[in-house]
Amino acid sequence: MELKVNQDNCLGCGICVIACPVNAAISPENAGGNGAKTEEVIMMVENGFIKLFSPEKCEECGTCQMFCPVNAIWLE
Amino acid sequence: MIRNLKEVKDNNFDITRAAEEVRNLSFNDHVCLGCGICESTCPVEAITLNAIAIDARHRISNDVYFSGHDKIAQNFKEDFDVQRISIDESKCVLCGMCSGLCPVDALVLTIDDVPIKEIEAYPHYNAFSEIDDDECVYCKRCEIACPRDAIVIERILPDRADLVTGEIEVDDEECIYCGVCEELCPAEAIVVDKETGKESIVIDKDKCVYCLVCKKSCPTNAIKAICRSCSYGEYDLDPAKAVVKGNSVIDSELCVYCGWCEGVCPTDAAKVKKPFEGSIEVDDDKCQACGACVDICQCNALAFPVSSGPGSRMEHVIAYDEYCVRCKACAKACPNGAITVTRTEVDHTPINSTTWKEALDAIKD
Amino acid sequence: MPKHIASGLKYLAAVKLKNMGKTHQEIAKELSVDRSTISHYLNGSNLSWNSIEVARTITEFCPRDFLKMAFAVFDKPEESRKIVNICRIRNYDAIIEDSCIGCGLCVNVCMMKAIKLESLHAHADSIQCCGCQLCSDECPTNSIKILEI
Repeated sequence: MELKVNQDNCLGCGICVIACPVNAAISPENAGGNGAKTEEVIMMVENGFIKLFSPEKCEECGTCQMFCPVNAIWLE
Repeated sequence: MIRNLKEVKDNNFDITRAAEEVRNLSFNDHVCLGCGICESTCPVEAITLNAIAIDARHRISNDVYFSGHDKIAQNFKEDFDVQRISIDESKCVLCGMCSGLCPVDALVLTIDDVPIKEIEAYPHYNAFSEIDDDECVYCKRCEIACPRDAIVIERILPDRADLVTGEIEVDDEECIYCGVCEELCPAEAIVVDKETGKESIVIDKDKCVYCLVCKKSCPTNAIKAICRSCSYGEYDLDPAKAVVKGNSVIDSELCVYCGWCEGVCPTDAAKVKKPFEGSIEVDDDKCQACGACVDICQCNALAFPVSSGPGSRMEHVIAYDEYCVRCKACAKACPNGAITVTRTEVDHTPINSTTWKEALDAIKD
Repeated sequence: MPKHIASGLKYLAAVKLKNMGKTHQEIAKELSVDRSTISHYLNGSNLSWNSIEVARTITEFCPRDFLKMAFAVFDKPEESRKIVNICRIRNYDAIIEDSCIGCGLCVNVCMMKAIKLESLHAHADSIQCCGCQLCSDECPTNSIKILEI
């Protein structure tokens, strides 16, 4: 299982960044929607699109995929 | 040399070794809890537990966005489907340990078509679930509560006419065929023909519930009511005819012995004995309320508290200790390691083999 | 040629049984050969010394080769098993340790049918064991020890 993103689909809404439980543990500020940029988190919105920073930290719970309104992030 | 054959059908598969005895291990994906006992037990390390969390969530949320809107279809992985476990057939020796220790019937080893749970030499968990038909009132609460839809209650209701305490009659002299009673009758037991010259009123006694709405509403007092219990005594109301009958079936393949049926049963009809004893605890500091455990748990033993209103933050997940079967699937799925499940007792039938005894002891904490 | 080797092996078996004190009739029954053939064998006629020499060489192979050769030479597996058991030149003690998981692989691979599964534990009959070690090679838990005695 691998975490994948498709920037063409991404709306840049950031719901995955907030919903991801691992992100919330790494950087509660970011999970609250108001944190400084850090590459420690799994994913973050950059220039309006989602970008994976530390996908190896993903525990494959699928929360991001469940919340993403356009399936721009998924496990495969 | 003797080789194992693997046959895959959808997410289920069979591994067969045909020699003097035919051994067959079959995996039932829809029964699997994702507990991973098989993975840790396998003496030849042939089993891998796959991404259970995403599979469980996919089954629940298929096509539906979490707020209930249809999910936007673009890029949707329609073909997403994983086997909850994989077994390397070149490593598997068909010893049956995975099957013997599987808390449900997801992995079944048969030897010459006899499942090992029918063979005395193999250990079995002492667990059962039953519904006592003598105590059961066929309320169907267990059927609704069962998280795996393993219970089917069929009930046969008494005839309504047998429960009605009186009869009504119409005095044709008085009736003006206005149809007021027909319109008001809640049981639709009265049919009035209002056409001039063909006027008639018919009362279907099987439908009538003796509510007397017709009598009270009749403008000409044409309806006469006779109460059975006061005019004739209770002789024609047979209590035996008023009994709800039925039968109950528990699908033993799907039952996980979670205890919901026993918990909701208003009588003492449902009884459950779990195979494992232990505890479940949630570390509120670590829980980030992602809900992976809730979606994975096949026992509905984990849930979020009801939201206190819009804008309120989702609280931490709550574990219902009494309905947890200590399978540990949630603890394995939790991305933050917030759930601790302990298995302190494993109730199984006596076993002679040292290795099997060790394997059963190893699943205890 | 296989027929000749088969006869050679039967000859060796007959001699061995004779040395164990069995009568011609018992030997004939044991080897499913008629009595006159046994008598011929034991009187040293009807068989080329060459075949006997080849047969003797086969019995001196390593146990697994002897076993496989015997299975190749005879038509019926039961016959091969009997010959291997009579003609093998060494005895073995097959020990199955407690780490056995009862998977039954050894039961399946044992060409001598010397292993049975009981209560999730394999039990080997050392009298039947030919020392080929096919079972210990297959055993996933290395629970089988074959000792030469």
